[in-house]
Amino acid sequence: MSNVRQISVFVENKPNKLAEAMKLLKNSKINIRAMALADTKDFGILRLIVNDTEKTVDILKDASYAVTVTEIVAISIPDSPGQLSRVLDILGEKGVNLEYLYAFIGKSDKSVSFVIRVDDNDNAYAALTEAGIIQLTENDIAEM
Amino acid sequence: MEKYWNKEIECASREDMKKLQDERLVAQVKHVYENVKYYRDLMDEKGVKPEDIKGTDDLYKLPFLSKADLREAYPYGLLAKPLNECVRIQSTSGTTGKRVVAFYTQNDVDMWEDCCARAITAAGGTSDDVVQVAYGYGLFTGGAGLHGGSHKVGSLTLPMSSGNTDRQIQFMRDLGATILCCTPSYAAYIGETLHEMGLTPDDIQLKAGIFGAEPWTEEMRRSIEKSLGIKAYDIYGLTESSGPGVAFECSEQSGMHINEDNFIPEIIDPETGEVLPEGEVGELVFSSITKEAFPLLRYRTRDLCVLSRKKCSCGRTLIKMAKPMGRSDDMLIIRGVNVFPSQIETVLIEQGYSPNYLIEVDRVNNTDTLDVSVEMNPDQFSDKVKDMQKLERDLAEAMKTMLGINPKVHLVSPKSITRSEGKAVRVIDRRKLHD
Repeated sequence: MSNVRQISVFVENKPNKLAEAMKLLKNSKINIRAMALADTKDFGILRLIVNDTEKTVDILKDASYAVTVTEIVAISIPDSPGQLSRVLDILGEKGVNLEYLYAFIGKSDKSVSFVIRVDDNDNAYAALTEAGIIQLTENDIAEM
Repeated sequence: MEKYWNKEIECASREDMKKLQDERLVAQVKHVYENVKYYRDLMDEKGVKPEDIKGTDDLYKLPFLSKADLREAYPYGLLAKPLNECVRIQSTSGTTGKRVVAFYTQNDVDMWEDCCARAITAAGGTSDDVVQVAYGYGLFTGGAGLHGGSHKVGSLTLPMSSGNTDRQIQFMRDLGATILCCTPSYAAYIGETLHEMGLTPDDIQLKAGIFGAEPWTEEMRRSIEKSLGIKAYDIYGLTESSGPGVAFECSEQSGMHINEDNFIPEIIDPETGEVLPEGEVGELVFSSITKEAFPLLRYRTRDLCVLSRKKCSCGRTLIKMAKPMGRSDDMLIIRGVNVFPSQIETVLIEQGYSPNYLIEVDRVNNTDTLDVSVEMNPDQFSDKVKDMQKLERDLAEAMKTMLGINPKVHLVSPKSITRSEGKAVRVIDRRKLHD
């Protein structure tokens, strides 16, 4: 298993709230490797993959943020048409349900990386491995 | 083994108590009629003479007194003793307008402190206890009342006043406080802070808490009891009738015994003023029959509650009042439906949320809106938007079931709603700005 830990943070949908959270991370020299923000009318859920998960969680919890850590799948695929479609087909065939996904900067300009949040990590991992899709470890991402 | 501060009074037979009340009421009516012009005018206007009041059965003949009267008579208009016989002034918090000032003779202070001593004793307090008074000191009656009561009982009294929560906890630990007195919202905050400091109820020696001065729910009681490892007792009072100690809870924790040797309660229909039979919900009215300097007769408290003479397992025969359902002042009428903040609090605690919330009422396109901001519970936080939206929907649904109207629920960050060290502000009604 190469499951990568993603930190999710509850951020109110009000001016400056995201900036406050980012300032905390900045002050502790946390480097964000991947991020996405899902928003609703009242609040946003900030999803982060960072170079130091434990430290980031401690910092945010100390500042009274609601934080949760979930394991996600991270993949690296060639930067060419049809690649993501292929991955989704593989997952679909195995009956893996996708909650959300987002792209982030990869190792080189010839590849692109994705965070995939699914309902069944084990099943997704097996399917992607069988199809030869490169899966990234937390270490891989930290060193990017 | 139930302990009483004044067993003779607290366990008196109904006949003896009524006889005492009759005598005291007759004397009190005479006292106010002779010494207070404001009363004399009110009674004359209603055509009632002191001779018409022969006992508690004639109470209904007397005129009511309301907060408006107190404001009109401010500051000396209801004073029934010369100022040089008074030894103390206390005042209301003035949250709902102009402050009310109350005067006390030494006998009044003694009576008040005696009532608080009964409350502390009913909560298990003795001279072996250390009583931490974290009500505000000063004009507010909370601090002074419990402080005096604790002295009477002979407990070691820690006059902390409210605020500086870290120091509250430090003193609580270092000096082995066994009974905490403060507002329920502050008790909840102290409990929260204790846990944040990595401490548990095992690290403190508290066994009981006496909490009052604002409405709180059974759910909040259980939550405070758990977080501090104590038994939590309710206490009721109002500055107008002395302060905390007008009524207090016993080990049964099912309503508060009214110190009816000093305060005669009635329940009336808030619309018509008609006296309602025992067991019916209405506005609580008090007559102070022993106060000398500031004796209020038939004072309308605005608190809605119910009285009961059902036999209590603690052995006290004093009549019991249920926890007030809210003040008629606190009651919000939203889209024609009566809503009490305490109902919303009940839902929140049942669903595992903190009792810190903010109710905002407004009027948009001639329709009332109800928005409730709720601190999310970090344990329920999920990275999936649909899970979070479900939490909001479930909460709104539970509130709708309780209130009968649809609120909008907004989850906000943990600890983002201002904590209170005294009386909490829970409601913002913006409709008043438009009217």
